This record gives sequence, C-alpha cells and structure tokens, in this order.
Amino acid sequence: MKKLLSILMVFALLLPVTATFGQDDTMEQPLVGFWEQCPTPENLPETVNVGAIFGLSEAVAVYGTAQQNAVQLAVDEINASHYLGENSALVVMFEDSAGNRDQAIAAMTKLVEEDGVVAVLGPTLSSEAFAADPVAQENSTVVMGVSNTANGITEMGDYVFRDSLPEGAVIPGTIAQAAEILGLAKVGLFYGNDDDFTVSGYEVFKAALEENGIEILSEETFAKGDVDFNAQLTNLIAAEPDALVVSALAAEATQIILQARALGYEGPIIGGNGFNSPAVLRDTGADSEGLIVGGAWNYGNPNPTESSVQFVEMYEAAYEMSPDQFAAQAYTGAWLMATAIRCADSTDRTAVRDSLAGIADFDSPLGVFSFDEDRNPVHDPIAQIVVDGKFQPLALVMGE
Amino acid sequence: MEFLRSIGITEIVMQFMLINAILGLSMYLVLYTGMFSLANAGFMSIGAYTGVILTQNFNQPLWVGLIGGMVVAGVLAVPIGLPVLRLKDIYLAIATIGFGEVVRILILNFDTLAGSITGESVRLTRGALGITGIPKITETWHLLAFLVVTGFIMIRLHRSRFGRAMAAVRQDEPAAANMGINVVYTKNMVFIMSAVLAAAAGVLKAHLTRTISPGDYGFDQAVSILAFAVLGGTSTWVGPLVGGFVLTALPEILRDFKQYRGIVNGSILLLVIVYLPGGMVNPAGWSQMWARLRGKKQGDTLTTEVS
Repeated sequence: MKKLLSILMVFALLLPVTATFGQDDTMEQPLVGFWEQCPTPENLPETVNVGAIFGLSEAVAVYGTAQQNAVQLAVDEINASHYLGENSALVVMFEDSAGNRDQAIAAMTKLVEEDGVVAVLGPTLSSEAFAADPVAQENSTVVMGVSNTANGITEMGDYVFRDSLPEGAVIPGTIAQAAEILGLAKVGLFYGNDDDFTVSGYEVFKAALEENGIEILSEETFAKGDVDFNAQLTNLIAAEPDALVVSALAAEATQIILQARALGYEGPIIGGNGFNSPAVLRDTGADSEGLIVGGAWNYGNPNPTESSVQFVEMYEAAYEMSPDQFAAQAYTGAWLMATAIRCADSTDRTAVRDSLAGIADFDSPLGVFSFDEDRNPVHDPIAQIVVDGKFQPLALVMGE
Repeated sequence: MEFLRSIGITEIVMQFMLINAILGLSMYLVLYTGMFSLANAGFMSIGAYTGVILTQNFNQPLWVGLIGGMVVAGVLAVPIGLPVLRLKDIYLAIATIGFGEVVRILILNFDTLAGSITGESVRLTRGALGITGIPKITETWHLLAFLVVTGFIMIRLHRSRFGRAMAAVRQDEPAAANMGINVVYTKNMVFIMSAVLAAAAGVLKAHLTRTISPGDYGFDQAVSILAFAVLGGTSTWVGPLVGGFVLTALPEILRDFKQYRGIVNGSILLLVIVYLPGGMVNPAGWSQMWARLRGKKQGDTLTTEVS
C-alpha cells in the first residue's frame, strides 16, 4: 500500500507544475483586432469560455503543441489589452485529441454539451474534423478549423469555419505562377497515396497542372513512413521533366528532396503545404535550393505584415522557438474568434456565428483576412522559392 | 448518469466503451481457444466498409448493413482461417498482421483496382480520403442490445460442448484431438465467430464516427483490440468487457490531468499489468494481490491464470 501511495504522491506533486507565461499588464494596444470597427463590448460575462481541440500527444503533437502555444499567446494578449472589455476575460479550454477521431468526438461533445463553450477552435487534423465538427453543427456552435486543409470541411454546415487556406486555394496559384515564370511544359508527379492530406494535395495539383496545360509525364506513388524513394524518383527523372511536383508530408518531403538531388536531379521541385516548414529547409540544407512551395504563411516571408513581425517576435520571446504556419493560423484563429465575440457583444452561439461570418478585411499575421460565403478563408497565399537557404517570393527572384 | 457525465463519460464515450467491449469479446474468443490472432482490425474494416457501402450506396437500413458486414466478414474468414490457423503463437500473430495490412492496402486501392478492371471510374471506398458524411444512426440501445445478446451467447457457449472443446484445444491440441475433438473445425469456427463480432463492431462504429478511412484499421487498432482482452483478463468473458470499458473511459476521465494525461494513463495501466498479471477480472490475481498487500507469504496454491 505504501508503494502505491508514494507513486500517487509523486503525481500529486507533479500536477501543479503547469506552464504559466509572463504577462505584461501595461501592454500597448496590439496590432491585430477590430479596435475601431467594433466598440468595446459591455454585456459579456466575466469569463468567456472557448474550447480548443488540438492533438497534444502522440505524433500529431508536432502541430498541436505549436497551435496551443499560439492560441495561448493570443489569449494572453487579448486579456492583457482588455479586448473583450474591462471586466471580461477570454478563457480557452484546451482538450487533447491525440490525432484520434474517437477522442476528437469525445472532446467536442464534452466542450459543446457539458462545458457549454461559446465556440471551438480545431481539431488539428481534417480527418478529426470530419468526425467531430458535426457534433458542433448539431448543437449550433461555431467550430473553426485552424489547420484543416481538406476539401469539403465547411460543407458540413453553416457553423463550420476555417481560417486555414485549403489546398485548393494555395496550389493553383503556385502552379500558375511557376508555369508562367519558369515556362513549365512537362512535369513528373509524385505523391503519397495512403494519406488523406497528400491525396487531396495530389488531386488539386493534378487539376491545376491540367488547367495550365502542363503535361504530366509520369505519376509515381509512395506510402506514409517510406524512407527509400530512389526507385520512383529514378523513373520520374528518367522522363526528363521540367519540374518535379510532389505532394508529401514534412517527414517524407525531406527525404524526397535529398534523394532526388543525390540522383543528380537539379531542376525545381514544387511542393504543397507539407513542404512549408522550417524543419524541411533545415534538414535538407543546400539541397533545398530551387524548392518552390505554396503556403498560407511563412516564417521567412520577406514581405510580412506588421502584425506578422510582431507575432514572430512575441512567439520567439515566449517559447524560444520560431513559429510555423500552424502557429500563425492558430494565433489568427484565436483573434478572429475573440473579434467575433467582441463585435457580437454577446456569448450567444448564433450571434457569434453571424458576427464571425461577417468578418472582412481583418489585418492579421496571415495578411488581410476575410471569410467567403462558404466560411472559407480569403487571403493571399504566397508562392516562394528557396534561394541561399531562405524562402523568397517566386515572382521577385525570377522576375529579375 | 449525472455522475458519469461529471467525470467525463458522456453518451458518446459510453457508446465507444460498448463498441470496444464488443471488440474485446471478439479477441477473447480467439485467445480463449489458444490462437494469438491479430486479424480482428482487418475484419472490423471489412465489416465497416461493407456496412457503410450498403447503407450509403444502396440506401439500406442499419440492420441490413450490420448483417451484411457480419456475413461478408464471416465468409471471408473461411479462406483466411483455413491456411493461417495451421500456424501457432507468434507465427500466427505475424501472419494475421499481414492479413490486416493486405486488407488495408486493398481497400486503399480498391477504386483504382476496380476501375482498371471494369474500365469505368469507380468511387466506392474512396481511397485514403475515406468515406465521410455517414449519418450517425447507431443508438446506445443498439449497442446495449447487441452486447446483451453476445453476452448471452458467451454464457451458453461456455456451458456447451463446443465451449469445452475450445478450452481443450487451448490447453493441449494433440490431447484434444485424441479425445475426438475436431481441432481444425473448432479453430476455424471460433475464428469466424471472432471475425463476425469484429465486423459488427466495425459497422456500428462507422455509423457513430461519421467517417471511416483505411488507416483507422491498421496495426494500432489491432493492438488496441488485443489490449482490451489482455488487460481485462481472459479467464472469463467478463474480462474483455471490463477491459474495453476501462481502456476507453480512462483517457476521458483523466482529461483534467491536461498534459500529464498520457503519463497518468500509462502509469495506471502499468500498475494493472504489474499487480494483476492475469488481467483486471481475474479472481486468482486479486486474491494474490490481496495476500501480498497484507504481507502474507504466498502459498503454492495461488497461481495466476495463464491463457
């Protein structure tokens, strides 16, 4: 019994060690937010509860932790600047889904039906969103994905939003720009065929290539977790494409770049969202030269908005690491939700939905942000090329 | 009910608990017969896809989907079981893991494969993207009724000649054969029953989570199903039931632990494994632990149940 007790004691001692972040009460007014457009709300309760479902454990924690950090950063900022009024504070209840559908459904049910939150951010993965978002929709509660890029997310209902650009909004622009500037005529297409993210990326790539009249010389596939891509890459390169178009997640993307270069391929490699990660650049080093990536936001964006610069500074100061696209989208998501509540001046779920749907020309780290009529985000994606180990705007570099 | 909700067990969690209990029972059947098979996740996906295609593409009610999924999985279990069940122990485990992977990759590429054979564009399993937008039509009472019927069959089974044959096959195959038990028949029959149960759980769950994709039924799921049975204990059929309940409910109950949830969850499971080696529902294991806690010397009469 003693042994058992002592083990329990250790856990009891561990519990209070929760992360706290220093807050500065005398903060200047943040650059983000509808400070002028909407008056300071007066009817909000002392605490406004918003839920957040992110993958905070298992493999998906790579994304989920960055999202939690970014949302917490935004919440601290919102409360320190009294964005929701003098006496109201935004409280985000984080729930872990572990990248698992069952847990995402359970977490959504708990937040929406038990905790009575005003709205929910997340879940991290599109596959979780397809399972969990209908729960929010049935309860007339806003759910906003901050990293769901699959097609059809917002078709689940009028309470389902997202602030993450779907692949369909990023890739066609990247392909069109690359085709025009590089004069692409024929490419090789390479994608992971057992993952919903890489398959939907592939479908969009294929449609965009056809639209731009670019010939697909050959298509090759790989599976999640593969480490050797030499056979497929050899076939693709043998057809002498103008560019390699690849739909992959970050882990495979790194190996694909390294192995393609090792096989002597020197042309451009065009990638989707999965390549838009500081880790890919770091791990591929000089081999990433000529990599073309479309994305919603990038740390290395040479033309950031003022709020983007401020966000990067604050994120680095708080967490001692650089934010990625997921962090930027989660941060913007938290601000959008707070803005919807501020402008609605109410915690009524339907009022918040209507207010959120009406947000337009919102200055955020992602750029000037609006929702379209399908509750999908509208802001300029960036097409970028790696030069000297850094992302540069494609148009700028190639226009010279 | 109020109490359950307050500790995080909402209706949907309860539904998952019931489904995982069914999966635990499907695993229990094969373990009780001495077969270390990890094919249940594969049969679960066969059931789920058959059921969903029946309810979505052919507009059938849930019960048709349920029976359809069970029948297809049961029929497919025959050609799989006949050769594979000649293997034993770890070799059987490896072969059945292989079966699970084959099912996953077949479903993943089904549309392309069928398309290349028929020459038309097929959209049935929808590859890696999976099927989304399945209506949520599984109710708690469906699951409860299914579990009660299954429990009843389990009780009857243990008292029947066939149930005794299952135990005999587990304990000593040659001896069982010498006593006139048809070992091949017994093993295959149990394999089919296990597949049918797993498929039913697959159909019911698909109509609860609204979306399925091949990745849901991979090695992870196979190991989870094994864990329901092993952690619950395989000395009686109640064990896997409790195992399914506890393993599903625990992560939800522990939500208040925030980032320490995984550690606490893992620690509790570790304590169960260390102190109750025969599983949670195992009278011998409990009395052994009771003796240990009271500081008594263990007698030779206390033995753990080995399955």
